[in-house]
Amino acid sequence: MAHQAHAYHMVDPSPWPLTGAVAALLMTSGLAMWFHYNTTTLMILGTILLLLTMYQWWRDIVREGTYQGHHTPPVQKGLRYGMILFITSEVFFFLGFFWAFFHSSLAPTPEIGGCWPPTGITPLDPFGVPLLNTAVLLASGVTVTWAHHSIMEGERKQAIQSLALTILLGGYFTFLQAMEYYEAPFTIADSVYGSTFFVATGFHGLHVIIGTTFLAVCLLRQINYHFTVEHHFGFEAAAWYWHFVDVVWLFLYISIYWWGS
Amino acid sequence: MVLFYTDLWCVPMVWAVDLVEAEPVTAARSHKKAYIYHDITQYFVPVVLSRGFSRSTRSLKNRVPDAQKVFQEDNGLPVHIKGGTVDVVMYRATMTLTLGGTCYSIYWLLKASLPQNKP
Repeated sequence: MAHQAHAYHMVDPSPWPLTGAVAALLMTSGLAMWFHYNTTTLMILGTILLLLTMYQWWRDIVREGTYQGHHTPPVQKGLRYGMILFITSEVFFFLGFFWAFFHSSLAPTPEIGGCWPPTGITPLDPFGVPLLNTAVLLASGVTVTWAHHSIMEGERKQAIQSLALTILLGGYFTFLQAMEYYEAPFTIADSVYGSTFFVATGFHGLHVIIGTTFLAVCLLRQINYHFTVEHHFGFEAAAWYWHFVDVVWLFLYISIYWWGS
Repeated sequence: MVLFYTDLWCVPMVWAVDLVEAEPVTAARSHKKAYIYHDITQYFVPVVLSRGFSRSTRSLKNRVPDAQKVFQEDNGLPVHIKGGTVDVVMYRATMTLTLGGTCYSIYWLLKASLPQNKP
């Protein structure tokens, strides 16, 4: 009983773009209120609204695709373009922080001793925990590819196990990085070294957490039979994002941890 | 919608349970009990395969066809409240926060934009 004569998806009217925009308003004005009036109510309200919006919006997309069948090949193509463009925008986001790092480290000013690392900064040993973190993320890239092939071959048990292993590795990276942050001999306030280090690695860590969450949602969906052998774009999008996170780490490791020490 | 929430509690069971299927779901087999979304999509869905009646395997049953029935019902409801009561409650809570938060935010912004009364 088709009601449309085309393969595209005319979405039902949805309140989530509005609630998301209001969440952004509350979070930003709440930030200002926190800074100037020492009250976090507005910001917390905005964060709760953001979480509610994200949950319901993405829940609806799962319903539209898996339960209502709206994700036809042309629609899926659009989703693929969308995810690729989003990841590209994130690449540019990180490019900015790498620019800042190289701006300060290629021509160190007299104020920091004319050298990099600056005088008085003890950088982390690149062959310690950072190298372990590199191995962990590379391994997680292998396990997520294993998960993809398992899904494509209809191997349900293997798909669940390899996806769970990927998530565990992501969690292990986050744990190790948190320990490094705690034990580091320098802080974000320690000259431009601290700023570039913690802002670049900090945003990367946030993206690892986002990617791990995305994969966890995919694990739940895989357990609940949402993915089929031929149609599992949600998982592919998560895997693309995870590979992007991995590549950013490799650049961080080579430039900030290794060259920058 | 109830299906969606109860499914989440199955996760701890995964490692302890010998999973349901005895053989992989291939494209050919999944056509057997396919529930068609609607005419133009030509997609097939995972087949329900169950072989035991233990509590854990029953909780890992494929409930996608049931969810498809719920969300393809021709009742004119938009997708964000088509799941049932919990959908409506969550929507109302979210919209209350949205409207209340907007007013609260504008109040504080107006207050901040007024001249400060310094003693």
